[in-house]
Formats: sequence, structure tokens, C-alpha cells
Amino acid sequence: MDFAFTREQQMFKKEIIRFAKKEIVPRVQEHDRNEAFDFESFRKLGRFGILGLHFPEQYGGSGADVVTTVMAGEALGEAGVDGGLTLAYGAHSFLCADTILRHATEEQRQKYLPRLASGEWIGCMGLTEPDAGSDVASMRTTAEKKGDKYVLNGSKIFITNGPIADVAVVYAKTDPGAQHAGISAFIVEKGTKGFDAGPPLIKMGVRTSQTSELFFSNCEIPVENLLGAEGEGFNMSLQTVEWDRSALLSPFVGAARYMLNACADYAKKRRQFGRPIGKFQATKHKLANIRIFYEAAQSLAYRIAWCKDQGRPLNHLEAAVAKLFVGDWSMGPANDAMVLFGGYGYCHEYNMERIFRDSRLAPIGGGTSDIQKMIIARLI
Amino acid sequence: MNYDFTPLETALFADVATALKNLPADADPDSRQAVLDKDLLCRITGCLAQTSYLRLGLEPVADLNGHLTLMGAMEALACRSPSAYLAVEASTRLFGRAVAGWGDTARKARWLKPVLAGDLIGALALSETFTHSANQSLSTCGEKHGQQVTVTGAKQYVINAPVADWIAVAGMLEERFALFFIQSTTPGLFIDTPLETMGYEGTAISHIRLDGCRIDADQVICPNNGQNVPEMLKMWENQILLGAALGISGAAFETARDFAKTHKSDGKPVIAHQEMGFKLAEMFTLLQTAQLLAYRTAWTMETNPVEARELMWCAKVFCTESAEQICSQALQVMGSAGCVEGNRAQTAYRCAKYNQVTGTSTEIARVKIGDAELGYRE
Ligand SMILES: Cc1cc2nc3c(=O)[nH]c(=O)nc-3n(C[C@H](O)[C@H](O)[C@H](O)COP(=O)(O)OP(=O)(O)OC[C@H]3O[C@@H](n4cnc5c(N)ncnc54)[C@H](O)[C@@H]3O)c2cc1C
Repeated sequence: MDFAFTREQQMFKKEIIRFAKKEIVPRVQEHDRNEAFDFESFRKLGRFGILGLHFPEQYGGSGADVVTTVMAGEALGEAGVDGGLTLAYGAHSFLCADTILRHATEEQRQKYLPRLASGEWIGCMGLTEPDAGSDVASMRTTAEKKGDKYVLNGSKIFITNGPIADVAVVYAKTDPGAQHAGISAFIVEKGTKGFDAGPPLIKMGVRTSQTSELFFSNCEIPVENLLGAEGEGFNMSLQTVEWDRSALLSPFVGAARYMLNACADYAKKRRQFGRPIGKFQATKHKLANIRIFYEAAQSLAYRIAWCKDQGRPLNHLEAAVAKLFVGDWSMGPANDAMVLFGGYGYCHEYNMERIFRDSRLAPIGGGTSDIQKMIIARLI
Repeated sequence: MNYDFTPLETALFADVATALKNLPADADPDSRQAVLDKDLLCRITGCLAQTSYLRLGLEPVADLNGHLTLMGAMEALACRSPSAYLAVEASTRLFGRAVAGWGDTARKARWLKPVLAGDLIGALALSETFTHSANQSLSTCGEKHGQQVTVTGAKQYVINAPVADWIAVAGMLEERFALFFIQSTTPGLFIDTPLETMGYEGTAISHIRLDGCRIDADQVICPNNGQNVPEMLKMWENQILLGAALGISGAAFETARDFAKTHKSDGKPVIAHQEMGFKLAEMFTLLQTAQLLAYRTAWTMETNPVEARELMWCAKVFCTESAEQICSQALQVMGSAGCVEGNRAQTAYRCAKYNQVTGTSTEIARVKIGDAELGYRE
């Protein structure tokens, strides 16, 4: 075992933190209050090279390994970038673009990936449906092959970037009688006739990301837009799930470090009963709890990243353990941080309440904690 | 970066786990009967001496990664027998390590060599009535009389004291921290009867008293000029307790999981009921998270000892508290079967609390972590 990051990785992390603190973080609170997507920051992520970090260079990326990519997410969280923007980045780069990278034709890669890497285009991924969340196999959206077209009918819900996406990876049943084996994946572009996005849903947290329904009504797409072969969709979604459970988790880990720094600063300045609140043991305990979560969660996210870098596909157990731990245990530290700030912690002026709200997504999005437990119980 | 142990390490863990298999069929190192069974303890250390286990962390071992390998091996031993583990560790990684770190060649030949061969049982006496958690200065002290030193004081909860050949007693000599190496037969050394403890029932733990105990001056080591030594000793204890926490967590988890797969309720294995399956999933998640944190801490001890300090406190809190939760849940999964004495989950459950309160207690550790984050000096 060796837990070391390379010198380049460490330097890169510092660079990202510096960049994000200067260019992105000052804009976070305002966008959160307005529930507005920050297009400018998103494109800055593209220009800095984060959106396409793990894409090969010929598609506008940097060819980074998964560990470095996970580290970028942690760095954004550590800098204080909000969960909305990091979720938008994750849905875009991993759930959408990575599926195209792995399963599309060369022509499609050339068409989409450079635009996605730069942030010129925004991507989303539609899997969840109003009546098919955890139980993916019960999805009702269909894709019927008619000549050289597929005709999509149905709807998706809770789709990150849905209202602003230029391109979507959409899962639909090509064989409605089958369960998982009937699911296929497609590329659908904005503006395609019969494809629409609903208005942004009003959410508790991750507010700067735009989440909506997607509607498909006799939506015709060329057969070339089928990713891989018919029936391979479910396995593709499993591959993206590992991104969900590493790179999409790492901003939560980074956020813990951010909270620690902010809480320590506040605890040294805020005085009650004639001394800084940091002098009270209860305050130290809160700081300790956040730190312990931060240390414990880190290795879980990097372990999956490392497994992926080793070419070990589908690390279901490791991925579920990481998702469950970060999902269920991250809320405690976020709560501690908010309470440590007292009344200010509850107000928008300081961003602890925002981090608390953002953290509530971790046990739901990308497979709920219950589903992780189901997977683990099956595999142990 | 690499998240796998090497084949050599994995082989060592397997050897350590099977070392206890060669004991007589009726020998149970975790029973109260084992407390004063020094022969049994020597057999165990003898078996372990056939592997590189005892040497790890004390001297370089080719192709193994010092503290990191040690953590995996500790886990393997603690999983098989928590009591044997604690006794072996107190002898090796406390007593032996003090000699390895601070002893000269003669002292190493006298005390360390036989410890590593499994021939000498050692103990280290640090805790006193008012110094067990916070490490104020020690009241046990030595007084020089020419080539001899007289040691007076009292120590509590000394692991192995009733079975040790030698005890390293921490105290003050001329206002400096010192370790007095005292043979168990020395006049003036009084060793109480073993305490009846809630966990680690097979480990001999007792209070000791030193009443004008005379030793030769060459039986005294003044380590590190006395700088940070108590804290260092606590770190060693914490490392041992991390290994213990992982081991008992693994034992409790395995026992409960195996039970849940074979025991049926409503016509299906209990693991198939969500309430049980999900509990096991939570236990497994805590176990794996604790393992990774402990391994990273051990790795950091090798690569960056300064950074390892804070990480060790974090790991101490997380791993020992998780162990208690895992063990408690294991008994819940096993129902009444878990309450019957003699199963590994129950043994583990009874040991879990000890790991939290000894070494740097989890409360003190949290305060220290908080101080570190705030930049407050201790
Ligand atoms: C902000 C946000 C962004 C999202 N982004 C996307 C996206 O980009 N693309 C996308 O496709 N989806 C996205 N999702 C959807 C998300 O992945 C789902 O919400 C999640 O998988 C749960 O599905 P559900 O909401 O239908 O809950 P349900 O599946 O209806 O679950 C409801 C409750 O029942 C429990 N439950 C369900 N089945 C079981 C079972 N077998 N055993 C025990 N308990 C069970 C669940 O744990 C949960 O507590 C997003 C969601 C949110 C909130």
C-alpha cells in the first residue's frame, strides 16, 4: 500500500484551490441565493481544464488519471465551491461526457467531447423517471426502432443540467418486456423535435445546479445515436455509477476541509464568556468530528479512483461503501459546522447553512444510502 | 498510490492468523483461566517469533513496510485472540520498543533479543492515579545512590505485570523522564493480583507498587533527554489499540455475517431480511473505513511522523468508536445466540470499551485534534 500523491498532483491541487478561490468562490453565495446556474464559472472550469480533465488530449482533455480527477473535485470542495456547481460539473463530465467517451463512435466523440471539455456545450444524463428511481429496471421510457431512426417516448426526472443542457445521454427501453437487459443508451441533442426540458425544480440544496424533468414525445433520433449496442445501457450506467461514487463524492470530502478552516477561524475570533469559543472543549469536539470525517472519507474516494486507474472494472462493493459512508456520515460534520457558527450559521451571510443544505443530497443522489446497503448486503 | 497489500504481506497476515492454531486444543487465550498461564503466552510468542511479526516496527524487516505491514498483522492477530494480542503487544511494542528505540547494544542484547525470540515477557508501566489521561509529570521517582537507584511509586493497570519477567517503569530521575527496568523478582516490587476486567479477560493486568526497589544504574534509560516521551508512549499505545479495534471489529463482523447467512427466520437466512442485511452493510462500511484510516495512519508513521500525530488521534477515535458500534450491532444481529458466552462477537464486544478509554482516551484525542485545528499549543 502507498497513499502518496505525486508531487505534480499535489501542485495541481494547490493550483485548483488558488484558481477556484479567486475566480469562482466569490460568486457562489449570490448564485445560490438566486438559484441561478453560474455559466461564467462553468466555462472558467472548462478553460482551466477541469471539465475535460480525464478526456484524452485529442478530445480537448488533459488525459489525467482517475486519482487526479477525483483530486480536482476534492480541491474544488476545499476551496469553497458550492455543491451545485460541482454537481453540475459531475453530471456533465462523468455521467454524460464519460459515457460518450467510452461508448460513442469516433465521429461522435470528435463532435461532442471538445465542446464538452471547453464548457461550450453542457451535458446531462437522464436515467431516473417519475416511477423508476432506485428501481431502474422498471423505467418506462421507450426507444422504438423505426427504419433508420429510434423514436423515444417517456419522461425523466431530477436531471441535473436538464434545463440548460445542449446534449443528453438518455436511457430508454428498446425491449420493454425485458428488465435490465432491455435498457439502451442514446445521445439526444437539444432542439431535437419532441425533446423538451421542464422548468428548474426548486430544491433545498445544490441550488446553483439546474434540475428538471426531460420529456420525450415521439422524439426521433438517428440510429447512430445509440451508444454501444441495444441492451447494453444498464451496464453503461453501472460504469458511470463509479464516477458518481468517487469523483462526485470528492467535493463533499473537500468541503469538510473547507468547513474545518472556516470553523477554526471563526472559533478563534468569536468570543463568549470572555474568551474565544475555540477555548471550549465542546467547540474542539465539533472541530474534531469534522476532521475525523475528512480523514476517514478521503481514502474511500481515492480507493475507487485507484481501482479504476488499475483497470479494475465495476468495483461495486468499494463504490457502495464509499457512497454510503460519505452519504450518511457527511451530514454530521455539516451540522456541527453550522451549529458552531451559532445564529450566523443559520443565516445566508455565512455559507455554513448552504453547505449543510448541499450535504443533504449525498445520501440520495446517485443511488440512495438504502440502495448502497442493499448492494453491500448482497456482496459481503 | 496503491491500495493493495503485497503478496508477502498477505502471506504474513495468514501466518499470524494461523500461529494460534498450534496451541493445545483446550487452551483458550481469551478465557480468565489464561490470565496467569505464562506458558501459554510464551508458546504464543514463540509461534509468532517464527514469523517476522515481533520484529516489525522495532527493526527493519526486508521487503515489508514497517508500521503499515505491522498494522495489517496486528489486525490479524487481534482478530484471532484479543487477549493474546494485547499481551504480546505490551511485551513487544511497548517494552521491546522502548529498548529498541532507546537502549544501547548491551541492553538490546539483554532485553530486546529475548523478547523478539519469544523468550521474555515484558511490561511497560506508565499510568498513575492522577496521570493516566493527561500525562502530568509522574510521581514515581528514582533516587541515585552511587551505582544503584532506588525506585518508589505506584502504577496502575499494567498489562502483563503478573506474568512479566521484566517491567519497564516510567518515572522521574533527577527531574528527567526515565525508564527503570525492573525484574519481577526484585525485592520492593509488589505486583497485585490480576484485575478482573470486562474485556481482555485472558490478559493479565494489575496494579503495581514500588517500595524502595533497588536496581543497578545500568537498568535505567533516560530516553530522548526526557522530551515528549510520555506522549510518544501514548502514541505507541494508540497504535496497539488501533490494531485491536480493527481485529475485534473484523471478528465481530465475520461472526455476525456467518450467523446471518446460516440462521433462518421466516424461512430465509436472516441476512435476507433488510433490517439485518442493512445492519451488516453498515458494519462492513465502518470496518472498511476504519481499516483504510488505520493503514493510512500507519503508512504516515513511516513517511511523515510529524503528520502522523494528528492522524493517529483521528484514527484512534474513529476506529475504536466504530469497533464498539460494530460489536454492538453484531450481537444485535445474533440475537440470543450472541449473548451466550464463548462466541467471538461477544468477546469482541467486551473488549471494545477498553480500546476507547486507554491510550489517548477518545475525549482527550478530540480535544487534541481541536487544539491542532485551532493552532493552540498544548
Ligand atoms: C439534486 C438531484 C440531482 C439528481 N441528478 C440526477 C441526474 O442527473 N440524472 C438522473 O438520472 N438522476 C438524478 N437524480 C435522481 C437520483 O439519482 C434519485 O433521486 C435516486 O436514485 C433515488 O430515486 P427516487 O428519488 O426515485 O427515490 P425512490 O427510489 O422512490 O426511493 C424512495 C425511498 O425508498 C427507499 N427505497 C427504494 N427502494 C428500496 C429498497 N429496495 N430497499 C430499501 N429502501 C428502498 C429509498 O432509499 C428512498 O429512501 C438526482 C436527484 C437529485 C435530488
